[in-house]
Amino acid sequence: MALRRGARFALRGVGLGRKALSEKAALQALKASNWHLEGAFDVFYSQTQVKPYADTRRVEELYNRYKDPYVDMILVDGITLLCNDLQVDPQDIVMLVLSWHMKAATMCEFSKEEFIGGLQALGIDSLEKLRDRIQLMRSELKDEQKFREIYGFAFGWAKEKGQKSLALDTAIGMWQLLFEAKHWPLVDHWCQFLQARHNKAISRDTWSQLLEFARMVDPMLSNYDAEGAWPYLIDEFVEYLNENGIIKKGHLNDWS
Amino acid sequence: MTMNQRKIIELEEGWDFMQNGITKLKRILEGLPEPQFSSEEYMMLYTTIYNMCTQKPPNDYSQQLYEKYKEAFEEYISSSVLPSLREKHDEFMLRELVKRWPNHKVMVRWLSRFFHYLDRYFIARRSLPALNEVGLTCFRDQVYQELKGKVRDAVIALIDQEREGEQIDRALLKNVLDLFVEIGMGQMVDYENDFEDDMLKDSASYYSRKASNWIVEDSCPDYMLKAEQCLKKERDRVSHYLHSSSEQKLVEKVQNELLVVYSTQLLEKEHSGCRVLLRDDKVEDLSRMYRLFHKIPKGLEPIANIFKQHITAEGTALVQQAEDAAGNKGCSYGLYVQVLTSIAPQAESAVGSLEQVFVRKVIELHDKYMAYVNDCFANHSLFHKALKEAFEVFCNKNVSGCSSAELLASFCDNILKKGGVEKLSDEAIEDTLDKVVKLLAYISDKDLFAEFYRKKLSRRLLFDKSANDDHERLILTKLKQQCGGQFTSKMEGMVTDLTLAKENQNHFEEYLGKNPNANPGIDLTVTVLTTGFWPSYKSSDLSLPVEMVKCVEVFKEFYQTKTKHRRLSWIYSLGTCNINGKFEQKTIELIVGTYQAAALLLFNASDRLSYSDIKTQLNLADDDLVRLLQSLSCAKYKILTKEPNSRTVTPSDLFEFNPKFTDRMRRIRVRDALSLSLSLICTVSGVILEDSNRSIVHQIPLPPVDERKRVVEDVDKDRRYAIDASIVRIMKSRKVLGHQQLVMECVEQLSRMFKPDFKAIKKRIEDLITRDYLERDKDNPNLFRYLA
Repeated sequence: MALRRGARFALRGVGLGRKALSEKAALQALKASNWHLEGAFDVFYSQTQVKPYADTRRVEELYNRYKDPYVDMILVDGITLLCNDLQVDPQDIVMLVLSWHMKAATMCEFSKEEFIGGLQALGIDSLEKLRDRIQLMRSELKDEQKFREIYGFAFGWAKEKGQKSLALDTAIGMWQLLFEAKHWPLVDHWCQFLQARHNKAISRDTWSQLLEFARMVDPMLSNYDAEGAWPYLIDEFVEYLNENGIIKKGHLNDWS
Repeated sequence: MTMNQRKIIELEEGWDFMQNGITKLKRILEGLPEPQFSSEEYMMLYTTIYNMCTQKPPNDYSQQLYEKYKEAFEEYISSSVLPSLREKHDEFMLRELVKRWPNHKVMVRWLSRFFHYLDRYFIARRSLPALNEVGLTCFRDQVYQELKGKVRDAVIALIDQEREGEQIDRALLKNVLDLFVEIGMGQMVDYENDFEDDMLKDSASYYSRKASNWIVEDSCPDYMLKAEQCLKKERDRVSHYLHSSSEQKLVEKVQNELLVVYSTQLLEKEHSGCRVLLRDDKVEDLSRMYRLFHKIPKGLEPIANIFKQHITAEGTALVQQAEDAAGNKGCSYGLYVQVLTSIAPQAESAVGSLEQVFVRKVIELHDKYMAYVNDCFANHSLFHKALKEAFEVFCNKNVSGCSSAELLASFCDNILKKGGVEKLSDEAIEDTLDKVVKLLAYISDKDLFAEFYRKKLSRRLLFDKSANDDHERLILTKLKQQCGGQFTSKMEGMVTDLTLAKENQNHFEEYLGKNPNANPGIDLTVTVLTTGFWPSYKSSDLSLPVEMVKCVEVFKEFYQTKTKHRRLSWIYSLGTCNINGKFEQKTIELIVGTYQAAALLLFNASDRLSYSDIKTQLNLADDDLVRLLQSLSCAKYKILTKEPNSRTVTPSDLFEFNPKFTDRMRRIRVRDALSLSLSLICTVSGVILEDSNRSIVHQIPLPPVDERKRVVEDVDKDRRYAIDASIVRIMKSRKVLGHQQLVMECVEQLSRMFKPDFKAIKKRIEDLITRDYLERDKDNPNLFRYLA
């Protein structure tokens, strides 16, 4: 018992030191780790990522506000309403970031689990909190690692269910949205090229490699390696750029 | 005890005695009259030394005697040897030297015997140079060191004189050079440093001078002749008087000056260089060139390179010739076939002769230069490689729109089919087939060849056009040897199918004999083929005339008795019918395709039919039907008359049997616009219909459609599978592999069949990623992982 008390004290100390933690939460952590102090620290810290406590009842109320009248999930209308409430354009890239946080499976819809679980995980239980959080999410796009994750997530989110690849129109829309944030100068050429020469759906491999291409290869293509493992579509894009004189002797001739 | 009683010999006294002996020796050496040493004298001299060395100190004179021994040589050399050498020069000096050196050796031999006791104890105990060595060293230090420069120059001068064709005393040189070797007392450093180095330098500059003149004045063959002679003479020189260790060095020097330095200039000589020799078939000069240059490191490379360029140019010229020949006919080759074949049956052979000529010429070219590789270039791998690379260049060019794979397949067809262009003996055919197969090795699209070959083979087999079964099997054996069993398995299957079909036909006839009720009343021959072996043929739902339906039923029944588990599908497009057409003037036997027969037989029931009547009754698609009716009403043999009488068939046309049709032949073949190009699982190869009312029969051949495109498409599809399979195979064993390496291994694996391009491989890799066979490594996108 003495050990238990000691452990309880130690953990509360840490909690107080960092971020006033309720004794209740500390106790939960201790119980979860069977009163082993180190284990409790682990449990505690992994939970602190999740922290600000969200009131389940209020989250559910929010869900019900947007829920489709006929199906137990949020559909296009609900999302439009949500966007209105948040004063965000539904086309805003931040909606992608939100969906990423909610682990949404598909564009323009949230299942009940996704919405409620997502908000709880974010520790958000009111519109105000969500609105505040949206600003934060915008800045998350600037984080290299997070951007990568969001970019990778976008493929599965945007494609039609049951399809392996992403319809070209959707892909182009997503790219324009995503690379606007990244300022990749070739994005418009890329989209024009796809429409002119490819006109087919985009595979996941091409999708993910394009980000690598935009990150690794400079816009003058000076460090592009034709022998590399770039997907053939990217190789052809480079050919297209050269053929059309868009890239000439290390200058980007921007005629568009 | 006796030793103690011996009288002590003082140094001076003893040395005086020795001096006498030494003087006598010198006189003998100088050739002055003097009797030889007697054994007594010798014993006395030896004993004196022995005694003087075995006296107790201070009367042990070993050290002093050892010094005196050396002084004796020095004195003799400075008083007699050197003066006599110094007064002579050049060859005379050499002569003196070769006299003095053996003399000196004699002196060393004798004196070392007199003083021998020193060697046994004094020298051995103190590890001093032995007597023999001391003696020789004297000569070396006094004579050799002083004269070696003069001697060397004199020798080299003589060598140069000999190079210029003068007679010299080779024995003298031999002796002088032996001295250089002997003076080293077992080491070659003196020979090498004091003579060989300068001799090599002199030889180099001598030949450098020569070469700089010859290369300007002489033609390449003359130059090579001279070079070869020079090299031979230098080898000769070594064997006569130089030390054998000099041969390699000397030859290398000379080769360097004569060949290496001027290699490019010589090989590229404008009017006589390697290219010209190849052009003018100067076999002997080329052999000489090989002999000279193959000893030089990398010396053959430029020659092999020129050889390759030469063959490439000749081969490319052949391609151009063929191109021009086709061009002269006014249209591209492909079109040319179509136009001509629809005009006259012999046209095909006219076109055939074009490819025939081309392939023949390529074979001749190969024979010719293979002989060069064997005869002139001693089968050297570098030249085999050059030949291969050259042929790979132009053998993979298209000849007027035809790939060489197709040309080669057509060439084989011409050789193997009945009534081919060339009349050849069996041996000539075998020989030709052998060579064609060799050429195939240079073609990267072997799969394309296989596909075309199979098309042609199927035609030979199904239409009984193959001239000789043995030859068919022979070439398959050769192909199998070269390209592997997988390459020929389908072709072999086809040949086997035909043999089985003949047996099957016999059984069928027996069956009909036993079951007279089943007999359809028409001679029926059916060829059953195995799906997969044969090219794919188009099958359609043609509604057969009743007579033929009965035939098909009868055969099905018969086939059921043999096997229950096989499904027959009929390829009417490959069938032929002989029909007797009763025209007003005479009855004519028409040989037609199954489609045509079906159409003609409709006119047994009605005199006049509209396009749509025929279409409904035959259940044919428009394009097939138009072509079919065209062949019967608008082509050479107008068995049907058409209303309106125009050159093309339209859906509003009406057709009628033409009783006025006649031809001076009793049997005719009617060509139709679509030909013998399609096929599938089981074919009716001959349905012979007898029709009693009106006999119309014909073999109406159909002009060829663009088969080529289909073959190429089929091959492309097969390649995709092949690349997929290869990638999966590689990744299955490697699990993780870099992109570059995967592509290389894939190309390597497939190169026996075709040369896949990188883009195609890339696409297949991506496709396999999509299908979850592979994934990219998370951290390194250039790395692929196999997903089991």
